[in-house]
Amino acid sequence: MNNDLYRFSAKKINELFLKDVITATEIAEYYLSRIESHNGQLGAFLQVLSERVLQKAKRLDQKKKENKPLGKLAGIPIAIKDNIHIENQITTCGSAFLENYVAPFDATVVRLLEQEDALLIGKTNLDEFAMGSSTENSAFFPTRNPWDLTCTPGGSSGGSAASVAARLCPISLGSDTGGSIRQPAAFTKTVGFKPTYGRVSRYGLVAFASSLDQIGPIANYCEDIGLIMEVIGSCCEKDATSLNLPNESYQENIPASFENITVGIPSNFIKNLGKENKAFQDSIHILKSLNAHVIDIDLDVLKHSIATYYILATAEASTNLARFDGIRYGNRSSKAKTIDEVYKFSRQEGFGKEVKSRIMLGTYVLSAGHKAHLYMKAQKLRQMIIDAFDKAFSTCDFIVLPTSPSSAFTIGSLQDPLDLYFQDIFTICANLAGIPAISIPSGFDNHQKPLGIQIMGPQLHDVAVVKYATVLEKAFSIADKIPPLFDREVNRG
Amino acid sequence: MSEIDLKVIDHLEKLCRIQCTDQEKKDLLQRLRQVVDYIHLLDQIDTEHVAPCIRVQQSLQKNTLREDVVKDQLSKETFLKNSPAHIGGMIQVPSVIDKEERT
Repeated sequence: MNNDLYRFSAKKINELFLKDVITATEIAEYYLSRIESHNGQLGAFLQVLSERVLQKAKRLDQKKKENKPLGKLAGIPIAIKDNIHIENQITTCGSAFLENYVAPFDATVVRLLEQEDALLIGKTNLDEFAMGSSTENSAFFPTRNPWDLTCTPGGSSGGSAASVAARLCPISLGSDTGGSIRQPAAFTKTVGFKPTYGRVSRYGLVAFASSLDQIGPIANYCEDIGLIMEVIGSCCEKDATSLNLPNESYQENIPASFENITVGIPSNFIKNLGKENKAFQDSIHILKSLNAHVIDIDLDVLKHSIATYYILATAEASTNLARFDGIRYGNRSSKAKTIDEVYKFSRQEGFGKEVKSRIMLGTYVLSAGHKAHLYMKAQKLRQMIIDAFDKAFSTCDFIVLPTSPSSAFTIGSLQDPLDLYFQDIFTICANLAGIPAISIPSGFDNHQKPLGIQIMGPQLHDVAVVKYATVLEKAFSIADKIPPLFDREVNRG
Repeated sequence: MSEIDLKVIDHLEKLCRIQCTDQEKKDLLQRLRQVVDYIHLLDQIDTEHVAPCIRVQQSLQKNTLREDVVKDQLSKETFLKNSPAHIGGMIQVPSVIDKEERT
């Protein structure tokens, strides 16, 4: 009954549960043993919530036996990035500062998932405080790419992407501030969606850059993205930036093609893509074969997006991470004798190199003498980027870009901070403009490493982005491919 | 020529309340110089007639504040669970004012 369960989408697993083909307990045990078998070599999970998930599964099986109404996600195992709170479980944010911090409340997204009977199976690894593009900045260990264990899975949601790609769970949640869901999705051949800013509540997400952060799903299939978005994409009174929007179906009336749809490509902006350009051009041919009307658009202003982002995001991060002062929570330095030492030693010991560097940069751009020409300048650039997207969307329905300049890179190979920052060149713009953006797998490079392509839409067009991504996913027809090392049943004897 | 030197790093250390080792300061100096030099490329862009972005959400152009009413409090007991040290229901910290400073 359980054979090959890992090959299925979350939707299919839910159907098998509803039809009594498999129990929730069997599903939980199945994925727990896959995690036990494989997590050692991947480092995707920081915590596996074995006892908790088995208890929830048992209660769900009982609920089903008693013919009680079941949630939309009944029986589906979901992994949660470890910067999102599950009450009474540790939230580390990938940081030594919070290695013993117990979340005192559920994030809204966690509450919504559990209300629909999802089985939360573990907390996944990330770059510390979501700052990074490789998961190498985790204070604990790096996560490896299931397609090539010498490579990173991308970041900062590397653990979330790797766990889904290796089929250790069908769905995970990540967070995306500059590409942290989409870039790991592209590196691991998964689908990663960053919703419109404000579509998904940030209550219970440890803030990195509050005007850029969004929680979003990672899955192997677009249909699962839609399934999760119907649950987590709702207004939250605890998040003042949460939008009050009507409920929409992501799963009905999926179009058959891109007929009557105009797709804009910013050719000038992406022209120096280099060796992956051929793969991107092949994807455009497929779009055309689906009857998309493809036009060229001007988004040249995006060449300034890295500088803009690293001013604004680090400024916001320096403010958001000021709360980690060793006073109320987190690891307080045992060396501290004065109040000032509590702050400066606790932060010295608790934060890694990249986090310290970004806090300092953010403080610098906000400091007297610099704020006007750095921070305010970046705010103006942000408006120019928003205006450029508005103009582009007046001539097209969607914008298509590669997700990343290259496929997954070897762990340890990118040491220069600017090289790492440039990983985000194609993703950052969606966060700056607050627009929905999805990365779907488009193919493989010459080393059999996955590549991804993005579809972006205007603000609030989340449903359209996911539906048309589904059309493109079908045309690429690689969704069922599984990394060879993980494409086998685990011996549970 | 970068505007960042060790004096700037010392100043930032104080503002950020992070005590860095000498090696860390050297690394940060190099890093910050590189990144700040890069972000200065924005200087050349004409933004004279551009208003800064205040709110990214185009559908929400006003502040959304709620009524100033106490809701959803964390209990003291829950809150203290994560505190590094507490005494009598309060967070315990080293003395804020030096003994010598007290009159």
